[in-house]
Amino acid sequence: MLIRHYLALFSLLFLSTSIFAQKKFTLSGTIRDAGTGETLIGATVRISGASTAATLTNNYGYFALTQAEGTYTVAVSYTGYASVVKTINLTKDTKLNEELKSANDLDEVTVSANNRKNDNVKSAQMGLERIDMKSLNSIPVLLGEKDILKTIQLLPGVKSGGEGNTGFYVRGGAADQNLIILDEAVVYNSSHLLGFFSTFNADAIKDVSLYKGGMPAQYGGRLSSVLDVKMDDGNNKEFKFQGGIGLIASRLKAEGPIVKDRGSFMVSFRRTYIDLFLRASPDSSVNGSTLNFYDINAKANYKINDKNTIYISGYFGKDNIGVKDLFENNWGNVTTTIRLNHIFNDRLFSNTSLIYNNYNYTVRLLNDATNFKATSLVRDFNFKEDFQYFSNKHTLRFGVNATQHRISPIDIDSDEASQVNSLTQERRYGIESAAYVSDEWAVNEHLNFLYGVRLAAFSLMGPGNFSTYDADGNILSTENVAKGKFHKNYFNLEPRFSVSYLFNEENSIKASYNRNTQNVHILTNATSSSPTDQYVLSSNNIKPEIADQVALGYFKNLDENNYELSGEIYYKWLQNQIDYKNAAELLANSNVESELLYGVGRAYGMELFFKKKFGKLNGWVGYTLSRTERKFTELNNGKYFPARQDRTHDISVVGIYNMTKRWTFSSSFIYSTGNAVTYPAGKYSVGGQMAYYYTERNAGRMPYSMRLDVSATLEGKVRKKYQSSWNFGIYNLLARKNPYAIEFITDPDNPGKTAAQQTSLFGLIPSITWNFKF
Amino acid sequence: MKKLVIYFSLFAFCLTGCKKIIEIDTENADPQLVIEGRINDSLIDQQIKISKTIGYTETNVFPKVSGASVTVTDSKGNTFVFKEGSTSGTYINKMKGVPGVTYNLNVTAEGQTYTASSKMPNVVKMDSIGVINNFFFGRERKTAAVFFKDPANETNFYHFNLYVNDVLSERFYVNNDRLTNGNDLRIQLFFNPPTNDHDSDELNANDKIKIEMECIDSNIFDYWYALSQQSNRGPNQGTTPANPTSNISNQALGYFSANTYQVLSATVK
Repeated sequence: MLIRHYLALFSLLFLSTSIFAQKKFTLSGTIRDAGTGETLIGATVRISGASTAATLTNNYGYFALTQAEGTYTVAVSYTGYASVVKTINLTKDTKLNEELKSANDLDEVTVSANNRKNDNVKSAQMGLERIDMKSLNSIPVLLGEKDILKTIQLLPGVKSGGEGNTGFYVRGGAADQNLIILDEAVVYNSSHLLGFFSTFNADAIKDVSLYKGGMPAQYGGRLSSVLDVKMDDGNNKEFKFQGGIGLIASRLKAEGPIVKDRGSFMVSFRRTYIDLFLRASPDSSVNGSTLNFYDINAKANYKINDKNTIYISGYFGKDNIGVKDLFENNWGNVTTTIRLNHIFNDRLFSNTSLIYNNYNYTVRLLNDATNFKATSLVRDFNFKEDFQYFSNKHTLRFGVNATQHRISPIDIDSDEASQVNSLTQERRYGIESAAYVSDEWAVNEHLNFLYGVRLAAFSLMGPGNFSTYDADGNILSTENVAKGKFHKNYFNLEPRFSVSYLFNEENSIKASYNRNTQNVHILTNATSSSPTDQYVLSSNNIKPEIADQVALGYFKNLDENNYELSGEIYYKWLQNQIDYKNAAELLANSNVESELLYGVGRAYGMELFFKKKFGKLNGWVGYTLSRTERKFTELNNGKYFPARQDRTHDISVVGIYNMTKRWTFSSSFIYSTGNAVTYPAGKYSVGGQMAYYYTERNAGRMPYSMRLDVSATLEGKVRKKYQSSWNFGIYNLLARKNPYAIEFITDPDNPGKTAAQQTSLFGLIPSITWNFKF
Repeated sequence: MKKLVIYFSLFAFCLTGCKKIIEIDTENADPQLVIEGRINDSLIDQQIKISKTIGYTETNVFPKVSGASVTVTDSKGNTFVFKEGSTSGTYINKMKGVPGVTYNLNVTAEGQTYTASSKMPNVVKMDSIGVINNFFFGRERKTAAVFFKDPANETNFYHFNLYVNDVLSERFYVNNDRLTNGNDLRIQLFFNPPTNDHDSDELNANDKIKIEMECIDSNIFDYWYALSQQSNRGPNQGTTPANPTSNISNQALGYFSANTYQVLSATVK
């Protein structure tokens, strides 16, 4: 059944490719950074002559353009790099491998307007945000620890999971509806230290793309966004070291050629040392406490020959929290990706990936009476085969993907003396497979399409006992499924469609529709990401979550693409959303699916974005007006209610001022409406204590949040090889007490009454970091 | 445990004052009927209390509901009529509940009828109570604890009340044996005094502690558990607050519990 679908898709594909195939010649190659040999993702290759055409390099820096025989001018450009212009006689299939010089090595003037790109206007892709790793370095962050997840929260349509938190919500989606991938491997828990830092060490990151909508068909598995993070490949020309020493963490990165111009490696390490301060305490139970995390990113690539390049990358991270003789908690992700780029011919590029990733945690209670160790694991094996076919006006992308999931919800291990019993919750096995095809079609100078379809299949597999529950949570039936047998299958067809219409080179409108489905769900009652978040697969009870999103946008560039202006509106329908019953017990509960409620959601909003890309002063202003609601029969009398992350207004302003060659100042400002929360409407006495009476769900609002952060970077004098810089930052310069939590207490001024007491997390926090490079 | 970690982060990061009183925007709800009924296994004046909610901003005086008709029938065919005693809104009947018997409540108040039922579980013997010394970041902290053996052959639910020098601790203590079935249990009850002064949550030498232990049915466990998940934690942290599911019909707030009752006292050394 599934196979037949795949075959149907492929026959469709090859049928269409044969129509487009014509007798023309192909210009193809790889674009790299001249200094490091890193491939450049999304560089523009424009060719003009008898006809004009343009394309972008793919994730591996590869491009291909097919044109009729003739003489052409080829311009290769990339933001922040000097363009290369060449004349090419296209009389046969031709290779063009170019290396671009970074603007760092050039005068400001030479970065002329012709490499200011207008892809944001031109491409049919909507809802895409790319993070410039250079500006990331200067944006102020908590404790000076630069962080991609905190930086994307400054973009319109992306909301922070909470103060200082790396969790995020995209266009009304929940925190578990973001597909976060690092070199294609899913990172299940992307936070360190209870969410205050992310697992992504910015030193090791090359490129970050966030899709808020219009996800291309090669991505699937989560509803609301795709955060595609790619690691640095490493310098293939010379050995380089860089690092930094900050208030809470230090970083060191080494990179260099394995074989010059053919292969390189990169290793990056980061560790916090808050607990070193604890260790200095004279008190034995304080200095025996741990509070740290570390992560290691490593990558190597080797160009076997002109047609084959192999990449191996991995991530390993761990958090450790512990209080002596009381408890220990550690958690972390492991990812490994092996990839083979193969160029079949100038037009057909393929990538084969084998991916392993896991997330695990351990909790140990060391108390003598409640002594136990609890462990949990989510583990995936993933195979991906992706093809890109570059035709004259089409770029086709098609492939297959199969992931095997294994979830060990919780194993509790305790000894005889412990009052907690040992327990092994049944493992769950699932296979997610998908086939997709998409086509980027430049119809003419005005019209571009990006359309495709993804067939997503999910199978919940044995072995195991699978129960089906009624609405009250009683077991209706339990099926024992043998190992390797299918218990439940779901098939979903996910159409993806985007179109752009260019009025001229600086003005366009775009529209998109896409469907996404999700079969791995997080069960959590916590606001922020918690190390003990529990993962469940779709089952008889939990149906695949489905989101349909339509979006419409206007894009305009001004002053030769120096300024970007855009406005997007979207509407999203969500199905099979999950919430929890009253008094739900989620942890270590083999009947956890009996504690769930299922409902629908809707989210809609408008995002405005204004960005100045070049010059001494650059930065952006983002504004989001949005609403996100959920509806469950059992909650709020079956009426729609605002989701917790529903915040009406969100404003972010980022400014970076390059005052001199040595001094850079930057600041960011955020304002957001408070979270939707449930406040008591009444109170009563029960069990001799006060209890609160609630009416409408999430009808109240937390106070608004507002924060101004600033930082300054001083570049050291440029010496021959060695370079260093100081970064000074102040988080929350206004020392505003932003709301983190509210609790209800006896009014201190009027003991007969009740008062709401707000807790804030961070006051004004200064930071200092020293960075070096040689 | 998680809370502890959060406190720790607060301790580490919060350099300035982190708490302040704020105004919240909420509308006072119309009064709702609250029924709180308990039948235990001692021969005493069993009490069914009927009151009303007040608005969030009002002063904490909860109106009593007089003139209701309150009866309890049991699964053995007995009927007990509860009469309003000297305290208005409190309906009493001197009787003794029996484990294994189901009790049905029938209340008619202000023209509306409310019903509920609860089965009294078997008694699990409370062995002793005591004080445990914990060390939190180098600070010794004494905690009251109750000791008993959970029976292996049945599912058990427990509810506790802690009094320190006759002051009721403002926290809902509730346990089940889902992860601890059949074991010798030592349950710690962290004291939460009804004042805002968090320094007074310590137990000191010569404090008198009293612990009440009730074996409750599963509905009542859910009721107390839902409250315990919310108590002292406002919105935006953990579970979205909601009214706990009551076992009483017709949308009354409160609960009707047939439970066993034991109490022990001790003095902190």
